[in-house]
Amino acid sequence: MKAFDLVQARTVQEAAGLLPVDPADKSAMLLAGGQDLLTELKEHLAEPDRLVNLKGIPGLDAMTWEADGTLVIGAMVTVQDLEEHTRVRETLTALHEAAASVGSPQIRSVGTVGGNLNQRPRCWYFRSEEAHCLKKGGTHCYAAVGKNRYNAILGGFPSYIVHPSDLATALVALEAEVTLVSPSGERTLKLDDYFTLPREGSYQRETVRLPNEVMTSVRVPAPPAGMRSTFLKMQERESYDWALSAVALCLWMDGSRISDARLVLGGVAPKPWRCASTEALLQGRSPTTEATARAAGADALKDARALSDNGYKIPLTQGLLRRALQKLGA
Amino acid sequence: MAERPPLDRPAPDGHGGGFSRRSFLKGASSVIAAGGVAARSLEAGMTEGAEAAGAGAPVISGETEITLDINGAARKLRAEPRTTLLSALRVRLPEPLTGTKEVCDRGNCGACTVIVDGRPVYSCLQLAVDLQDKRITTVEGLGSPEDMSPVQAAFCRHDALMCGFCTPGFVMATTACLDKHGTPSEATVRHELSGNLCRCGTYPHIFEAAQTAAKSRAGGGLR
Amino acid sequence: MTTQDGGGILPGAGAGADGSTDDASAEARAEWAGRDALTLLNTDIPRVDGPEKVTGRAKYTHDMRLPEMVWAKLVVCPWPRATIEALDVTAARAVPGVVYAEAYKQVGDELTYQGYDGIVAAVAAETPEALEDGVRAVVTGYSRNNPPLVTREQSLADGAPQIGRGDVNMRVESSTGDREETAAALETCDAVIEATYTLPVQHHVCLETHGTVVDYRGGTEATVYHSSQNVTGGARDFARHLELDSENVRVICQHMGGGFGAKFGAGEEGRVACVIARALERPVHLMLDRRQEFLMAGNRSGSRQVMRGGASKDGKLVALSVDAEKFGGMGPGSLPRPPYIYDVGTSFAEVRQVHTATDPNRAQRAPGHPQASFAMECMVDELAYAIGMDPVSFRKANLSDEVWHRQLDRVAAEVDWAGHPNKTTPGQPGADGMAEGIGFGVAVWGSGSRPSTVCDVRIAPDGAISGSTAVQDLGTGSRTLVAAIVAEEFGLGVTDVTAHIGDGKLPPAVYSGGSITTGSIASAIKDGAYQARVLLEPSVAAALGTEPGHLIWLDGRVYVDHALGRSLSWKQACATLAQPILGTGRWQEHLTGRGVHGAQSAKVRVDTVTGRIQVLKMVYIQDMGLPFNRLASRSQINGGMIGALSYGLHEVRVLDEDTGLMLTDGLGDYRIAGPQEIPELVALIDDEDTRQEAMGFAEAPIIPGHGAIANAVFNACGARLRDLPLTPDKVLAALAG
Repeated sequence: MKAFDLVQARTVQEAAGLLPVDPADKSAMLLAGGQDLLTELKEHLAEPDRLVNLKGIPGLDAMTWEADGTLVIGAMVTVQDLEEHTRVRETLTALHEAAASVGSPQIRSVGTVGGNLNQRPRCWYFRSEEAHCLKKGGTHCYAAVGKNRYNAILGGFPSYIVHPSDLATALVALEAEVTLVSPSGERTLKLDDYFTLPREGSYQRETVRLPNEVMTSVRVPAPPAGMRSTFLKMQERESYDWALSAVALCLWMDGSRISDARLVLGGVAPKPWRCASTEALLQGRSPTTEATARAAGADALKDARALSDNGYKIPLTQGLLRRALQKLGA
Repeated sequence: MAERPPLDRPAPDGHGGGFSRRSFLKGASSVIAAGGVAARSLEAGMTEGAEAAGAGAPVISGETEITLDINGAARKLRAEPRTTLLSALRVRLPEPLTGTKEVCDRGNCGACTVIVDGRPVYSCLQLAVDLQDKRITTVEGLGSPEDMSPVQAAFCRHDALMCGFCTPGFVMATTACLDKHGTPSEATVRHELSGNLCRCGTYPHIFEAAQTAAKSRAGGGLR
Repeated sequence: MTTQDGGGILPGAGAGADGSTDDASAEARAEWAGRDALTLLNTDIPRVDGPEKVTGRAKYTHDMRLPEMVWAKLVVCPWPRATIEALDVTAARAVPGVVYAEAYKQVGDELTYQGYDGIVAAVAAETPEALEDGVRAVVTGYSRNNPPLVTREQSLADGAPQIGRGDVNMRVESSTGDREETAAALETCDAVIEATYTLPVQHHVCLETHGTVVDYRGGTEATVYHSSQNVTGGARDFARHLELDSENVRVICQHMGGGFGAKFGAGEEGRVACVIARALERPVHLMLDRRQEFLMAGNRSGSRQVMRGGASKDGKLVALSVDAEKFGGMGPGSLPRPPYIYDVGTSFAEVRQVHTATDPNRAQRAPGHPQASFAMECMVDELAYAIGMDPVSFRKANLSDEVWHRQLDRVAAEVDWAGHPNKTTPGQPGADGMAEGIGFGVAVWGSGSRPSTVCDVRIAPDGAISGSTAVQDLGTGSRTLVAAIVAEEFGLGVTDVTAHIGDGKLPPAVYSGGSITTGSIASAIKDGAYQARVLLEPSVAAALGTEPGHLIWLDGRVYVDHALGRSLSWKQACATLAQPILGTGRWQEHLTGRGVHGAQSAKVRVDTVTGRIQVLKMVYIQDMGLPFNRLASRSQINGGMIGALSYGLHEVRVLDEDTGLMLTDGLGDYRIAGPQEIPELVALIDDEDTRQEAMGFAEAPIIPGHGAIANAVFNACGARLRDLPLTPDKVLAALAG
């Protein structure tokens, strides 16, 4: 790590004020749990002059339930606290399962919800200082023509990273919103809109967060009654790994038929991949039939384009979706 | 929004776009660590920090003396903001505690696991200056060869170690697991230890040791 | 059969006597007691350095902290085949705290391969932070020479630069048998399988990286702390690098964080540490960082084996033709000559070295054998199914050594092979998409010993007793072995004896490689203890009013006879000595044997929906002559099985083919098995082996596991995977046909 100053912000406004305005100015970065940031600093992917520490700001680590059942998760809530929260486990199962699958116990101990949502991609070219790829301001995506077994099959062009956050996959399925604070005010937007595809925004960022915005909380609206949800994640190694593919599925049933559904794929695209047409397709179907699994799998992956080494993610993701339907329909 | 350069495929001659003989030197600033940069920023760090903060937020800049609560004792040491807890323990303490091991230095392997305020953490991913109000327990703080903790004693009994380099991390993760779960199932033990790696292949012995230690602690002697 | 790395020899050759010790006393030489008479050996003995290790007190090389010590690091070019365009340490020298920065190459130099040749400079500083700033301040720039020569295809392409020894990228190392004759024999077979088996380059992943702390402060002497598998032999390298006499260089390795075959010499990292120490005349701490460990600290060579195998309907391997390639980077690679363990009527094998511009392979636990085993065990399995014979029976029909027959039966029983529904055809997944299967393999290792070890056993009048030999303990338990063999001689407990090891100033000991440590040191320890007993017994016998040679040493006391009559405590016995005594033990051929066997079964569950392979159970049985420490032996067996599982399911070095950049240069991207991957493991010691001989075995258990897993996957669901690692993509592809 290059030497840096550690600034102990006392309020969110103060933290935001310490951040640069210009996207090209990389002199300051936010420090939350640090579980991804420190690896970036050690790899010299980032070399800020100062870190703005959020840990001393009161209130950011609170989880509260509003009267209407909305869950507000402070950005500094640890993944472990989210995982162990009883009401989350009981009512927002997909979120609980996603939290439990994040990293390792040591990561979950101190890693935060905000940090998890804002972690940088795991692509091994991005993580190699020497590979001056699109994401780092270079001229091409090495993964596009190189070793890409972990890279995107959906929405990748032209920078084929996959978003590494498990929480993001579940939270988008739960239609969560995030609140961002900057010196000029506060805004709340859908988490689905928070993440961007490379072709939609900067290749160098995965979100629409402005350089001087601080994510303060994630709001999970109370789901309509009767929701069943699950998060299934396939890892190459069960012990501490990122998703090869993941599925977050929320179902509402009318008898034995699906009345409504939300489906988001993880590990396959540069952002959590909401499958709106598949959600519509599922309505009125029985979740456990072969025909439903086939139709939903085909639809969810209909836009998938495999690179040289990652075609397996298509049947794998379809398999996970099948398992999720079986699980929730049982 | 950044300008979108055309997707640059490798040149027809087989040279990779980013690494062709010319651009390699010319373009890839990451390849050339410009000597002046590091030195300049070092100087800057000493003087500019407070000013940069502007709003008056406290700034820790350069090497300062800090106090850490390690194994129940207040320990003074000098550290920079970038000094990790791992480095603070192994290098910066006047009497270094080298039981905590550095293996991957990236939070992948668990060899550097210590317990901070009751939770297992990777000490390679913690800034030492950020932990001054925390209780830190290292493997040395659990017990000594003459007076081992139940987890340490169980590791010896079940040969839950071979080369021993991952062992302090596993001892800490196992201790944290038993602190949290009391008498966990083997599945829970695996889940709670899944942030630690062993290359000699001691895992089944570690699982046995965890069970033995849990029973031993249930009979008293929590540590 | 020998390997490139001097490893395995088949059992049989030189395998010793049947263990008869009836005439031992008449010989007046050390003899292993019968197994019924042993009180400590052949039991579970917790390792004597366990308490130090579990409390963090054990000092590894990485942990050495010496007065005035500086922190040093190599500056490494990560690319193969690069030309240096810029290299300047001036700015590094100006970084506060930096005390040394030197370039070892020049602008214009071509770096021929990824590895030691990529060391372009080194920096030393007062603190790790200053060191990092110093390393970052070294200006480097490289241009790449194309192609990077990191793949087989690049290396064998027309017009490729020739980089290997003798300026060739491919050489035929050996050719055995007759290709035409074998082809003809294949024509006569009832079933022929043609298949190509490939295994990737694997890393050792020693948790303690390679490195050295050189304590040299000027003058004529130095102490070197070295994470090393060769303490005794290590002084010569370091003495040369320090320009000192080797008797004035003391190498110390009290504990080491893994070696697995990669840590024999000083290495370039050791040489550079010496260079810096000479320049500064201060202690130097130089360990590789994790990325450098992946780039330049060795690997298990990859392998590609194109096979045609044929069998007769009655279950005999009739013919086998093999064209094998080894991918050892700039090294030769390792592979025992096919057909490896099995008896084959007619066979042909050509083994070729294929060089790439990457780090040379080094010995890695059972060098070459896991590669040979995987291909051969899969081929045998494929042929068994092809002729409709169950794979256990087929193996036994083609293995002449009956030790394997009983071992296969045992591991088959432990996974209930008898009750398994599909023995001759693969199974089908159930309604849930899950399929379970069982697979097998066998193992061999030569082990043996070297005569170089000397062990001093000292006994003092106050009862202090120690065994001393320079041997290193890689985690295998050699320190405990020293204490245990001495303790057994005198009826003491293992903690009553102090074991002094890991220090070049102690009597010399063998290096640790090829599972020869136990075979080499055990007899010397035993002989030392025996010699000490011969010196101790006269005064003790006199005190007890009897003759030497008939005393019984048991439970911390010495008795006049088997009736356990008059006795002295250990301390009283030692008090009969007028002065300390020393028994000097040497290697004893008659106490030592060689040649071990193993058999493996594995049970897996394949999720045919996601391609996930979950290993449910692995059973391995090992013969080992006289087992010394049953606990440590099971640890080694379990460790071998886990190593094979990890290689089989997860491990692969990945290099970008366009640039040669290593993409798996950390423990996140280079995956090894973790706690969640571990199946139920059954480690069996084959007690039907009655040889009263010392021998090591621990290479063997890492050999057959991945082949057994691949065979189990086929047995489960019909997916035949011939390319390691067995990742979900390959399962899904195989199932899709």
